[in-house]
Amino acid sequence: MGDWLRGVFTNPAVLSAVKVTFEMAFSSTFISAILGVAIGLWLQNHDFTGKKAVVRINRTLMGVPPVVIGLLVYLLTMRGGPLGPLSLLFTVKGMVLAQVLIITPIISGMVFSYAESAVPAIRAFAKTMGADKKQTDRLIISELRNEIYFCIITGFGRAISEVGSVMLVGGNIKGHTRTMTTMISLLKSQGIYSEGIGLGLLLLIMAFILQTLGDYVRKEQIRDENY
Amino acid sequence: MRITELRKKVGKTDLYIEDLKIESGMIHGLVGPNGCGKTTLLKLIMGITAPDSGSIDYEGLKPSDVTMMSQRPYLMHASVYDNIVYPLKIRGEKTDEAKINELLERAGILEIRDQYAGSLSSGERQKLSFLRAIVFRPKMILMDETLSNLDSDSEKLFREIVLERHREDGSTWLIVSHQWDEMNELFDKVHHMEKGRIVK
Amino acid sequence: MKIKKLLVLLLSGMMVLSFAACGSSGGGEEEAEAAAAPEEGATLMMATTTSTEDTGLLDYLQPLFKEATGIDLQWTAVGIGEALKMGEDGQVDVVLVHAKSSEEEFVANGFGVERFPVMYNDFVVVGPAAPLEKTDDVAAFFGAVSDQQLPFVSRGDDSGTDKKEKKIWEGLGIDPAANPNYIEAGQGMGATLTMANEKEAYCLTDRGTWLKQSKDSENEYTLDIVCEGGKELLNQYGVIAVNPEKYPEVNNEAANAFIEWITSDEVQKLIGESGVEEYGQALFTPNAGTDN
Repeated sequence: MGDWLRGVFTNPAVLSAVKVTFEMAFSSTFISAILGVAIGLWLQNHDFTGKKAVVRINRTLMGVPPVVIGLLVYLLTMRGGPLGPLSLLFTVKGMVLAQVLIITPIISGMVFSYAESAVPAIRAFAKTMGADKKQTDRLIISELRNEIYFCIITGFGRAISEVGSVMLVGGNIKGHTRTMTTMISLLKSQGIYSEGIGLGLLLLIMAFILQTLGDYVRKEQIRDENY
Repeated sequence: MRITELRKKVGKTDLYIEDLKIESGMIHGLVGPNGCGKTTLLKLIMGITAPDSGSIDYEGLKPSDVTMMSQRPYLMHASVYDNIVYPLKIRGEKTDEAKINELLERAGILEIRDQYAGSLSSGERQKLSFLRAIVFRPKMILMDETLSNLDSDSEKLFREIVLERHREDGSTWLIVSHQWDEMNELFDKVHHMEKGRIVK
Repeated sequence: MKIKKLLVLLLSGMMVLSFAACGSSGGGEEEAEAAAAPEEGATLMMATTTSTEDTGLLDYLQPLFKEATGIDLQWTAVGIGEALKMGEDGQVDVVLVHAKSSEEEFVANGFGVERFPVMYNDFVVVGPAAPLEKTDDVAAFFGAVSDQQLPFVSRGDDSGTDKKEKKIWEGLGIDPAANPNYIEAGQGMGATLTMANEKEAYCLTDRGTWLKQSKDSENEYTLDIVCEGGKELLNQYGVIAVNPEKYPEVNNEAANAFIEWITSDEVQKLIGESGVEEYGQALFTPNAGTDN
């Protein structure tokens, strides 16, 4: 067991997949967090005709199968596609683009829900303190920080575990766009299960760590509301 | 401050203030049964809710000169101390820690100074909210039954602080209460409210 | 081009409209097994390589087999490694793959009863028209790719085709990975061809998949066959019944019926004709009864 694990985790192909996974997940979560938080808070604070529809579309996009986004990004980035000249297909950048499209709605949708319930009270409070607009915005973000962390952790969890769009757009190229999940998929197709299980374990451990982080952040939230 | 023909419908309460003058530098009481629109009126003055019609003449008072203590105060996700210095921080004023400690000591919450605000009891929350509202010496203070959860000794102490601040700053106070017999010694002037109208 | 734009639009529209009810799911990947709905009566479960499915051969043979024997043929089309592994694990009744040495090992290890040759197809290299000229000299062609560091997309999935390609490099004493433009896709033939077309790279493929894909795909292929006809490029298929002594639960009767059927003169003739009408040439050349 020990030898087997050591063998799996010193395998350069496995290490490369882990590196690509994190490179992709960190970049896409970072971009999605900025976009998602901004969109979520903006939606909460603005009224316009069609807002309900926008919110509903956002909710819908939260549940879109990633492989559909993968196909969309594939068609956009292929040689003859509208984004073809950018040469994003079969690159980590292309994968990040697909993931940003998948994760941003998740973060914005969650942030919006949290903001809907918390922001009115924060705004009222900011007014009683005499805060100006910028100070109010800063206060809102700082007061919602636990919720925002939780949304970002959720987004990151999706990013590292996603396989459909990453396979389509990244192409599972060894050493370049092969992630842990697409590698598992490949290993399965080769009938090599032990390394697949090793990678699966690693992903499980990461999911566990994320879950723990998420629980911790949620506990903070509950502590705040508990009076 | 002058309020004229101010109208606001919230739920069952139809608030209509035909003409109300709140003289500055005085302590005003606002007394009436539950659900008569006292809180709504404070929120309108604070600018938290917009009126359906009518107007408030602030007579030179800036929005940041006015503060309000809610019945259920909002506490920032931070320590008691950080909550109290927040209004000073956003005004870019230097915080005199010794002075704030003194204030906390007097209010009897110095020992929970570094505690997380979310963990406070309701009485402690009201004390915090009170100190946070007066720490930046606003010109007008609206109090919505802020002291209702305090024991009688503490309440007496806070009444003293109100009087003290009023004397020092010449600030205007508008205090909502339905236990008016205890608070009335503070009030220079009392406005009675019933079913959304000022009746006296 | 217009079709693609339309597709993109259609997809965006679909996302907005139709996924409200759908829960989120991981990337759906398994699609191979739903080839036929199970029916009453005997079924034969086969593990095979993606090439037999991608070429449409199995779709062509399945109803004929049902008609002849009443047995419902079902298959899962996977990589060669996994197909043999499924046989080793007793998950299927019969395997139809193209990796002679692995197949012989499979039989030698007692997992299969006996290997019967069925047919062969051949591999071709597809790629851009320049800089290499079309040739039948496999050694010269692969040497040139490596020397000039030309882009080359490999399956990289340990499939039969991948093994074939690795064997060619090995035979020439070339380390393909030394070429910085050599990439391993780790995907099936169809996905690898699509990638090669996108990257304008060379790619070793079986002829059948190439013919079908270049004809049926909505991609406009700028690639064409640039190397064919070499002896190194032949691809022999064999069929093996999984050993019932090892796994009594396998349907050995149906497996034997299938082997007998597919190696019969009549069906061999049908295999030799499959694809002629559609692609202008046969996808497979039958050679049952030979010692290939």
